Amino acid sequence: MTALDLAEKADQVAHVAEEHAAHTDRDAAFPVESLAELRRTRLLGLLVPAEYGGLGGTVSDVIDLGIRLGRADMSVAMIFTMHCQQVEAVVRYAAEPLRSALLGRVGEGREYLASVTTEAGKGGHLLSAESALHGDGTRLGIDRFAPIVTGGQHADGFLITMRSQDADSPNQVSLVYAHRDQLDVSGSGDWQPMGMRASHSIPLKLIGSVPAHQVVGKDFKEISTTVFAPMAHLGWSAAWLGTAAGALSRVLRLLRGPDERRRFDVGSELLLTRLSRSRQRLDTVHALLRRTADTVRDAPDLSLPNHQLLLNALKITAAEQCHAAVNDLVEAVGLRHGYLKDSPTRLELALRDLRSASLNYSNDRLNLADGRLALLDPEVRFV
Amino acid sequence: MDARFTALLAPFLKFSDDKEITPESNLRELGLDSMQSIELLFAIEDTYGISLPDDELNDATFATAGSLWDAIAAQLPGARA
Repeated sequence: MTALDLAEKADQVAHVAEEHAAHTDRDAAFPVESLAELRRTRLLGLLVPAEYGGLGGTVSDVIDLGIRLGRADMSVAMIFTMHCQQVEAVVRYAAEPLRSALLGRVGEGREYLASVTTEAGKGGHLLSAESALHGDGTRLGIDRFAPIVTGGQHADGFLITMRSQDADSPNQVSLVYAHRDQLDVSGSGDWQPMGMRASHSIPLKLIGSVPAHQVVGKDFKEISTTVFAPMAHLGWSAAWLGTAAGALSRVLRLLRGPDERRRFDVGSELLLTRLSRSRQRLDTVHALLRRTADTVRDAPDLSLPNHQLLLNALKITAAEQCHAAVNDLVEAVGLRHGYLKDSPTRLELALRDLRSASLNYSNDRLNLADGRLALLDPEVRFV
Repeated sequence: MDARFTALLAPFLKFSDDKEITPESNLRELGLDSMQSIELLFAIEDTYGISLPDDELNDATFATAGSLWDAIAAQLPGARA
């Protein structure tokens, strides 16, 4: 799988995503056409090793794809990178016989995985769970409500955080895989958000039971530190950066185009400064994203405070700056192309989508964590 | 290089002292600065009804009248690929 092949596949999915972005946004509908294309191109199996029939890609490839798809549709980019986060957890931690069977299906494009980590009363806090697994040693019972499951109605399988069997506290968490056929999945299905409407992140109730070997890994804290948190921050940031980059690119094409450049004064110092600021924000996020990805790939222990600080800084910075970059562009081009839905710049959609970034695993909460982490590193050692 | 091109170029080259513009004319030395490059680019695109590819928008293309003309000529109808 060469970089060129991957770029070609990414373009194919992005083309479909772009074609359907207006109606999936209008109807708050899951982008089924884009998912079908992700299956057809086998990009769903991007991270599945070649020995299991996957594309054998890397986290860096996921970032490339997240940016590329984000340029077309942020919801599709989020859906894709979050699926990759789940796949990476399976690649790194699932044991046989689950491992071969599940990775084989993902590699063939037959299994889209959704993440079930939210729970009423704890927000997106990863490392605790209220609903407990129960079982007889051979099978585990699942009875779980989750207020937000992105793509839950269309997922073929779920990775679910549950309180471990016989746990003494909500902080003993297990990650369990369940195929859709093993669960009774019900949900209210009502999803009317401001933006990222095509992510179709609905509340779901999951009831069923699975063989005990479908627990992924032994220690969810470790999976969270090594896979879930880093892949979330890298994947989301890539999707946001792509969204803002696509918006900036469309604005620049418009300003460069033969018609609009007569209407805009491209010598305007205010316009030039706004374009400059917008571009700077994106180069800053891009540099931080790639730098953090290198750290995730190379660092032996991501739990160190300065490593956690870098990861959180990426998420917080990407969320703030990508939104700010598009907001700058709205000011730069004004009402017609900055505020109306039918402008080819699609700034209105990008801004609504990106407004979710600071709320998605809330920046406020990450800042509280970072304040504490900062106190744990009084020397201020940079990674 | 056609006459339209040299006429279009002339106002951007304030140090040319009305000398003839040849393919070897160094645009930067003759007065084209980076702020004007974008105006020149738009003037070219409007005049010829073309769009220069992103990959051509670099110092090498804007180095001489000849290198800039080559980039334009490649976009004109009937240009060889």
